[in-house]
Order: sequence, then structure tokens, then C-alpha cells
Amino acid sequence: MKTDDLINALAAGIEPVRPARIHPLWIAAAFAASVGGVLLLLGLRPDLSSAMTGPTFWLKALYTTAMAGVALFLVTRLGRPGVAARRALYGVFGTVGVALVVAGVELALTPTADWTRSWLGLTWTYCARNILMMSVFAAPLIWLGARPLAPTRPMASGAALGLLTGAIAATAYGLHCPEATSPFVATWYTLGMALAAAIGAVIGRFALRW
Amino acid sequence: MIDREAELKRLMIRGLDGDPVAWRMLLTEIRPALAGFLQRRLAGHEADTEDLVQDCLIAIHAKRATYDRTRPFTAWAYAIARYKLIDHLRRQGRRVSIPIEDADVLLADHTVEDGVVRRDLGKLLSILPRRQRRLVEDVRLGGYSVAEAAARNGFTEGAAKVSVHRSLKTLNASIQPPRGQS
Repeated sequence: MKTDDLINALAAGIEPVRPARIHPLWIAAAFAASVGGVLLLLGLRPDLSSAMTGPTFWLKALYTTAMAGVALFLVTRLGRPGVAARRALYGVFGTVGVALVVAGVELALTPTADWTRSWLGLTWTYCARNILMMSVFAAPLIWLGARPLAPTRPMASGAALGLLTGAIAATAYGLHCPEATSPFVATWYTLGMALAAAIGAVIGRFALRW
Repeated sequence: MIDREAELKRLMIRGLDGDPVAWRMLLTEIRPALAGFLQRRLAGHEADTEDLVQDCLIAIHAKRATYDRTRPFTAWAYAIARYKLIDHLRRQGRRVSIPIEDADVLLADHTVEDGVVRRDLGKLLSILPRRQRRLVEDVRLGGYSVAEAAARNGFTEGAAKVSVHRSLKTLNASIQPPRGQS
């Protein structure tokens, strides 16, 4: 096809567009899928209704939702050619930083004898793995939702999408996870989300071409 | 409006709003710059240039919604061209690194690069009434046809022709040294 013809064809078919983004419905669907995964494979924590009246349940949710928020910001920045993503990246590290500080403060207020208990809880051996497992439910929806974007750095964008997926999955996992200490959450939830980001980077390398 | 970036950006935004004329104009405008940019970096494979230009135009079209209206158009278009180039070279199994250089390379062709010239031109044109000025800019610098420029600025085509002609006469006169003094 000659380039002039191509240009004419493209121009002839043009329609108004709205700024590209991951539509919130995809995010909601991904969260719903992760919740479905929790119900299907893990079950809700037995004390869920009483846990929901206390602050630690919501603090956990606050951390993972905040991470989902900054990850979404990062994904959107990376998905726009020529836009710098550094500020969004600071947001990610800032969020982890805040979680670590809160964990540190909580640890400082905990008697030394209880530190290991506070840090490892009862479920540290499978917390990150479970978050990854719940990510499998959310991932297809997030990655489908990201199609309107145009990531020029596939690995970085893949990592950001993985982080977003992991954060959504971690939020859902909070419905099952019985742990209540900040050191636990700041370590093992962060690990789970970081692993999701790492896997996302590898997938992005191949899957994000356009 | 002498600023090419501003002109391209305006076309881009009209394209985003679904204006086919602006969109065709934009793609046509950036095509030679894309070709130049790609050709210089396809050392030994210049034959691929036109295919790659088309890839870039298609990508710019298909991904136009990723353009952020508050940002420079050229940086966006350049990032797409760079991505397409790298993708192309990788597919051929070549290891590449294209520096994230100044996006202005896309502006380099067909533009008044020299800031001094640009400023002088602006000063010179500023002696014209605003509507005439825009008309002259569109026809002489913006690459519009007289008919298009007339439509853009609310002239009939005939009136636009006359106006451009008169404006150029005025401009010419203004840069002639006063009689008896050269």
C-alpha cells in the first residue's frame, strides 16, 4: 500500500477518542475475580465480621489499595509514549516506605520477645504464594484492560502491571489472611506483590508488543 | 504559530476530536520527518524505511488516545517512532540501543531551526493585523493550501489570496531599506 493511500485511509476512518487508560470496570472485575479465587480456594477468615470492626483489617486493605493506586498511576504513565514515569515510581517506593515505617514503629512498641511472632505470624510460609495464586485470577483482566495503552518499555510496563495485579490480589487475600501485625504485612504482602511485579516484567517482555 | 510543535499539537488535538482533515494533514506533515529519522538509523537497510514509516503512522493512528493533551506532541510521536524502530531492529535479531535523545529530531526537517531566524520572522509578521498574520503563517509556514487556510481563518478563498498577496507586499516593503540610504 502506498503511504499516501494509507494516510487517506487512516484519516477517513478517524473517530473522536478519549484518553487511553485501564477502564475502572477492568479493575473492578479483576478484584472480583481475586475475591472469587479466595472464596473458591481459600475461604474467608472465620472471624471476618469481627475483624472488620477493628483497625488492622482496614490498615492492611489501605496498604494494598494504596499500592494498587500508585501501580495504576505507574502503569498509565508507562503506557503513554514520551511520558516520564519517575514520579510514579517514587510513589511506589514511598508507599512501601510508609508501610516499613509503620511496621518499625509497631515493632518498637512490641516487647522483644514477641518480635518473631509479630514478624512471621502463623502464615508467613504461604502468604506470598497465596497472593501470587490470587494474582492468577486477576491478571488476565488487568492485562486485557491495559490493551489501549502503548507501553514503549515492555519490561517496566509488565512489572507495573504485575504490581497492580499483585496489589489487587493482595487486597482480596486480606479477606482470608488472619494476620494482623504491620511487620507481617509490610514484609510478606510486599514480597507477594514484588514477586507478582517480577513475573509481570518477564511476561511484559513478550506480551506487551504492539 | 510559527512554532512547528504548536502547529502539530493543534492538528493532533483536532485529530483526537475526530477531525479527518486535521488528521490527514498531521500524518502528511510528520511523514517526511519520520522517514528522515528512521532512514538515518537504518544504516544498510534503507529499503525498510517506507514500511517502517507506515508502521509508525499506523501506530500513531491506533494509539492516538495515549497522547496527553498537556504534553508536547513531538515527544510522544518520537517515543512511538523510537519504539517501532527498536522493535523492528530486534525482530531482525540486531542488538540495538537508540539513545533517548532530544525529541526535537522529529522537528528538525522542514522547520526554521535557528532561534534567531524564528524570532526575526515573528517580529516581522507582528506588523500584520492578527487575522492576516494567521493566514500568512498557515499558507507560508504551516503548509496549508490557500483554500484550507482561508477556511481556518474565516476568509473566502478569493479574499484569502488577495490578503496573502497584500500581506507579503507589506512585509516586503517593511524590510526594504529606506530609499537613498543603502
